[in-house]
Amino acid sequence: MAIRRAVLIGSLVVLAVLIEVSLLAPLPWWSATPPLALVVVAAVAFVFGSVTGAVTGFATGVLVDLVPPAEGTVGVSALILTLVGYGLGRVFDSDERPWPITTGLTAVAGGVAVVAAAALGGLLGDPRVRWEEVPSMTVAAAVYAGILSLVVVPLVRWVSRRVVPEAFGR
Amino acid sequence: MKDVRRARLILAILVLASITLIVLDLRGGGSGPIQPLRSATAAVFGPLERGVTAAFSPIGRLVDSVSQLGDQQVRIDALEAQNEELRIAVDTAGVDLARVAELDALLGLAADTAVDIVPAQVIAVGPAQGFAWTVAIDAGSIDGIEVGMSVINGGGLLGRTVSVGPDTSTVLLLVDATSTAGGRLAGSSQIGIVSGTGRQDLLTMQLLDPLAAIDVGDVVVTFGSQGGRPFVPGIPIGRVESVSGTPGQLTRVANLVPYADASRVTLVGVVVAQQRTEPRGVIPAPQPAEQ
Repeated sequence: MAIRRAVLIGSLVVLAVLIEVSLLAPLPWWSATPPLALVVVAAVAFVFGSVTGAVTGFATGVLVDLVPPAEGTVGVSALILTLVGYGLGRVFDSDERPWPITTGLTAVAGGVAVVAAAALGGLLGDPRVRWEEVPSMTVAAAVYAGILSLVVVPLVRWVSRRVVPEAFGR
Repeated sequence: MKDVRRARLILAILVLASITLIVLDLRGGGSGPIQPLRSATAAVFGPLERGVTAAFSPIGRLVDSVSQLGDQQVRIDALEAQNEELRIAVDTAGVDLARVAELDALLGLAADTAVDIVPAQVIAVGPAQGFAWTVAIDAGSIDGIEVGMSVINGGGLLGRTVSVGPDTSTVLLLVDATSTAGGRLAGSSQIGIVSGTGRQDLLTMQLLDPLAAIDVGDVVVTFGSQGGRPFVPGIPIGRVESVSGTPGQLTRVANLVPYADASRVTLVGVVVAQQRTEPRGVIPAPQPAEQ
């Protein structure tokens, strides 16, 4: 079960990162680009809880920091997504959550991730951070994350039930 | 209660691991322990990104065509593109003329800065939330790409390669806030340092000569680096939009509009070699007049 779960989550994460940089980011979006990898981490956290959420967030973040064309500091996304995965996994205990709650939480996580990335960048002396753009990026990322979660969260839940039914205790 | 403690422990371990990675990457720089990780990831994910781009390129085209609905908009876009092409042709003609007038006319030989390029397609773009302007292209070391090569598109200079995998490379665009390039004003030949601002439509150029004449509309081309790395000379960068002469500062700053549109790059060329098509002959010194 553990292996099947790891393979499932690993495939989801790799697919999400690839789609984010190769398909979504090249299109002309307003301000931010849709944070698909973050939404998948959120969905996994909702389904499997905080421990799996944190581990998934860490692995996804390391991947996001390393996959070309990433040029930022390795570990920044890992730190942020670890906290996102842990936090969203902790908020509720049941695996059946109504969609307004998951959507709202994912949107908040999308926005917080932008602010956290900017703050960490500023802290580490990254000359690229431009604070005047952070508010619009935060709003855009939150909206995109919320919209993506409407599709991604049910999808991840459905696939997880299919592949690892034991995790749901029935 | 035990579960919560275990979760907290795992969280603490992962946070520490993240911070360790950050420190390793920041301290290590280009040769740190993170670099092999990056290379390995590029080797694995480059081909995957190529595959995803190839498989889904019809979707991108569909989105493009939907967003360009209406014949008028298409016509305007086509005319704007043509206008831009013509303007660049006119501007760069001035560059050639100035160079010819300066040195090559004296020698009687036309120097040609023909460059050999490897064409490549953009296969991934860094998320805007990362604040970095980088793209991944589908050409790598097996195509002869090396770190620190100029990358151009139809408009002008786009950036330079910063890391190269077997069949993909990462390009740091000139508009990235950490990018700099040597620039030269075509015509007056004043030199300066062109820096990215992080905004796609703005570059700044610090002129080394505080008294240099610089006008709105002047064309800036690359000054060229030693051995043509990372930048080969004579590639158009952008047009001067405004000049802010800060009193008290030793240099003047010009704001440039880049020729290459960083927001919508699809096809680029990596300059792998610069050739001199016409050899320069030696002009013997005139015989001193006998007295």
